[in-house]
Amino acid sequence: MRILTLASRNVRRNWHRSLVTMLAMAFACGIMIFFSSLMEGMMLGSEHSVVSMNMGDIQIHAHGYRDDPDLYTRIDDADELIVALEAHGYRAASRIYAYGLLAANMASSGVQLRGVDLAHEEQVTELFKHVDKGAWLDENDGNGVVLGKKLAGTLGVGLDDELVFVGQSSDGYMANDLFRVRGILKSVSDGIDRMGVFMPMQTLRDMMVIPDGAHEIAVIRTDRTGDLAEETAWVEALAPNLEVKSWKQLMPVVARMIETADVQIMIMLVIFYIAVATVVLNAMLMNVFERIHEFGIMKALGVSPTQLVLLVFSETLILALVASLAGLVSGWWISDYYEVHGIDMSALAGSITFGGIAFDPVWYGAVTADALIYPVAFLLIVAGIAVIYPAIKAALIIPVKAIYYR
Amino acid sequence: MNLNKLAWRNIWRRRRRTMITAFSIGFGVMLAVTFTGSGDYTYTNMIDTGASMGMGHVTVEPVGYHLKPTLDKRLRKVDAMRERIAAMDGVSDATVRITGQAMFASARKSVGGAFIAVDPAFEREGNNLLLRSIVEGSIFSDRAERGIVIGSRLAQKLKVRIGKKIVFTTTDANGEIVSDIARITGIFTTGIDMVDGIMALLPIASVQKTLNYAPDEATLIAVLIRDQRHAEAMRDAVAGLPEASDAAVLTWKKSQPDLAGVIAFDKAGNYISQFLVGLLIAVGILNTMLMSVLERTREFGVMMAVGMAPGTLFRLVMVESFWLSIVGLILGVIITAPWYYYLYSTGIDFSGAFGNDFSYGGVLVDPVFKARLFKESVMAILGGLFTLALLAGIYPAWRAGSEPPVESLKTI
Amino acid sequence: MLIAFFLSVLLGAFIMSAALAVHGDESNQDRTTTILRAVDDLWRGDSSYAVVTMQVKTEHYTRSMRMEGWSKGKEKTLFRVLEPLREKGTMTLKSGNHIYTYLPKTDRTIRLTSGMMMGSWMGSHLTNDDLVKEARLEEDYDATIGFEGMRDGHDIIEFTLIPKPDAPVVWGRLMLTILADSYTPVLEHYFDEDMELARTFTFTDMKMLGGRERPAVLRVVPADKPGEYTEFIYETLELNIDVDDAMFSTQSLKRR
Repeated sequence: MRILTLASRNVRRNWHRSLVTMLAMAFACGIMIFFSSLMEGMMLGSEHSVVSMNMGDIQIHAHGYRDDPDLYTRIDDADELIVALEAHGYRAASRIYAYGLLAANMASSGVQLRGVDLAHEEQVTELFKHVDKGAWLDENDGNGVVLGKKLAGTLGVGLDDELVFVGQSSDGYMANDLFRVRGILKSVSDGIDRMGVFMPMQTLRDMMVIPDGAHEIAVIRTDRTGDLAEETAWVEALAPNLEVKSWKQLMPVVARMIETADVQIMIMLVIFYIAVATVVLNAMLMNVFERIHEFGIMKALGVSPTQLVLLVFSETLILALVASLAGLVSGWWISDYYEVHGIDMSALAGSITFGGIAFDPVWYGAVTADALIYPVAFLLIVAGIAVIYPAIKAALIIPVKAIYYR
Repeated sequence: MNLNKLAWRNIWRRRRRTMITAFSIGFGVMLAVTFTGSGDYTYTNMIDTGASMGMGHVTVEPVGYHLKPTLDKRLRKVDAMRERIAAMDGVSDATVRITGQAMFASARKSVGGAFIAVDPAFEREGNNLLLRSIVEGSIFSDRAERGIVIGSRLAQKLKVRIGKKIVFTTTDANGEIVSDIARITGIFTTGIDMVDGIMALLPIASVQKTLNYAPDEATLIAVLIRDQRHAEAMRDAVAGLPEASDAAVLTWKKSQPDLAGVIAFDKAGNYISQFLVGLLIAVGILNTMLMSVLERTREFGVMMAVGMAPGTLFRLVMVESFWLSIVGLILGVIITAPWYYYLYSTGIDFSGAFGNDFSYGGVLVDPVFKARLFKESVMAILGGLFTLALLAGIYPAWRAGSEPPVESLKTI
Repeated sequence: MLIAFFLSVLLGAFIMSAALAVHGDESNQDRTTTILRAVDDLWRGDSSYAVVTMQVKTEHYTRSMRMEGWSKGKEKTLFRVLEPLREKGTMTLKSGNHIYTYLPKTDRTIRLTSGMMMGSWMGSHLTNDDLVKEARLEEDYDATIGFEGMRDGHDIIEFTLIPKPDAPVVWGRLMLTILADSYTPVLEHYFDEDMELARTFTFTDMKMLGGRERPAVLRVVPADKPGEYTEFIYETLELNIDVDDAMFSTQSLKRR
């Protein structure tokens, strides 16, 4: 007996029942895919916010710099190090920092000047996309600076306003210069918002008399699937006299928080899967149990128990495959839409900080292989398991009893 | 004919199917309770902790202070205002404070930071996080003495200990630079690095003198209320007081926008997730109801042939849907109750995973996963699921009444 | 000028505090007062003009700066940098509790905020706060004679200055040593609250300045970095000159 043919005919014969069952399963699968993509998007988005905005995956400093940020504690061969890193497939940018007083009209504030290597920085972080008002830095506008959001508020300045900086250069003189507000950032992190003043690196080098060396090198991986700890160790080997730390080591609180959020997301996914399982289970159980009458007749006509079990499984397979296909297509389509557009939470949230870092208020989905494959596989497996009991029951029942089965 | 009784009996004709569907509804209840409950608990915790970190649930401050917090802005006649507010219904505490930036210096080093000047008579662990977190020594006993309580990291940076002196420098009411001396009476550790590294508590009367404030002037009054959900109503009540006529009154949502943002984001995320689960369950219910209608096509055909109106059939199926939902909800309550009780009293301790010290929206978070549902939330969950279940029944009910008897009787 | 800061006000004030002191040990107090008054007379003037060279040596740089300065009373001081060319025209004005800096490169005047007070003045080992606190020393310390006699072949008198309990100073104790015969200051130690030495001022190179023999060189050495120092070398000093109040205003900063 050609089981598959019989199975497909059965499916088509019980058209309404099949359709309803398949729709339920397709729907469940589709929602599952969408939900998974949102969760994956949440996880990736969190790490992205931390790493790509300003931090990078790995940072390199001279020993002791982080505890006591001194103008003189520098990385000497920053350029060579960057070349070596880029040869290995990473992207890296060096930065120099200086502290001093920034004054505007009536107000003044202690600030941290951040000298940016524009060409490299744009490959490493996304800060340049994060300008709220005005524009990002330009090599040709040496005295145009970009301020952190809260700093601009404290000083009471807007675009094109004048700023005076006073500090102490590396050779002991009073470094001072006039700057113009070229841009104001959106919220990035606590430190940058309150004290950050970005300028082209050459400007800072000239003013503070730091002809070479860097205070910090930020490194980002192009392939983000590798093991962070391993890669950090590799970079460490490349720079033996310097301190090399991954972002997880530099911001352990945020790292732990993201890990916890990931765990919570896992829990939610599991619960969701269980909910999906009940729906699928229900659908398939109904599908078989309510047709025991039909199976009874088949048995009476001579179909063997084994064949009956195979028949039930084949029907299930057909239903589940069609359902998963429909679910996959619809789920993928919706997830794709939200991957591009995201759910804009800013109406509700405005700015969001976790552990001092600002997070993007738009919730993007992420269509990953995991988000697509697991729901489909799960559907097929649960459907398969659901029919085991009823199939066996159907196979073993005495035809007479089956015909009268209630 | 008693429709309700008929509907009830109908759903029990297929016991297994009804039970599984009811179980999935019950499951939805459990999920909703877990996530809303833990959310409610966590948010309340965060809001209350945030309130005790300086600004209260409701803050009375000088107009314009929020945008530019400088020490020349101050409230007048604060003592009278404070008493008035403390006597209001629902207020658990009202404290007068001065907040500002200052440089703290020892012989070895100087560090920039911020201070909160308080009256120790009114400060308690419940309304002051820094006080709660004191690990060494204690808060100064008098509002006019020269004591200071600083964070542990600040003490480290300045290389000082209990009993040693610190000179703090700030700008007074007239824009002049002023300094004063204070001896360390206590050291706190909140666990938030930034707070431990820059914050200090000072006696309010001493600070008033240093800043050339009048004895009844201060920066703000922090109002703590018993139930954080009433913050907006409290704000309106306080703003209505005659003493507060030339001050700005804010809720924590305005004075701590980061916290508000985090909570709103998390809540929204939760709702979206729960909505999707609800949708899923609705699909399951739809499936069940539709199946049950389809297999009774003949039966319905007969009923219509003998005179039952399609509208009645529609109502019948809707009532079946209704009974199914009720069974589901009851089942949900039964399976969720012990689980909720566990979460309410013990909770799942996550502190192994993420330690005791992280900040979410700038506020410390308790690492124990607990749940606490507000009455409104319970109503919302039950109501929401009930509505979804009923909505899921509409199409099948319509199907039931729409097929002409002749067609239905053709089926075996 | 700076020596004038750290001494004339310092000591002149003790005359006041000594005079107001409790008459427990009257003869001793009288003597302290007399001596301190005499020391103070070395520097006292209603106004002054000086030309000073400042040398700073730190771990990272060594530099030298030549400046002229005017003072009137205890509250008003104005400095103007003469050399090097890079900083020529930079001015620091102290008026009461305020410090203003004029920067010729940007042609702007900045008022120093409370956050900058602990920063170094002109890259030296003195802080902006030191400049401001000078005028308040009389309110802040009690003086007694700690030791008198021979030390290292010189006849000296050593004063111990203890900060008053309410004084906003970070030091635990100051110790000033002067020569017994000429009342010339020789040494000043600053101790933190644990009585550990934080920094040392030494006065050397006696020279004819402003009509009297005074130490022409003041050297500041931080205790934790003994290899570093800041030195003020007096070239000229004139006391009780004619100087207008208007000179000590922010408007005059730009005009020059």
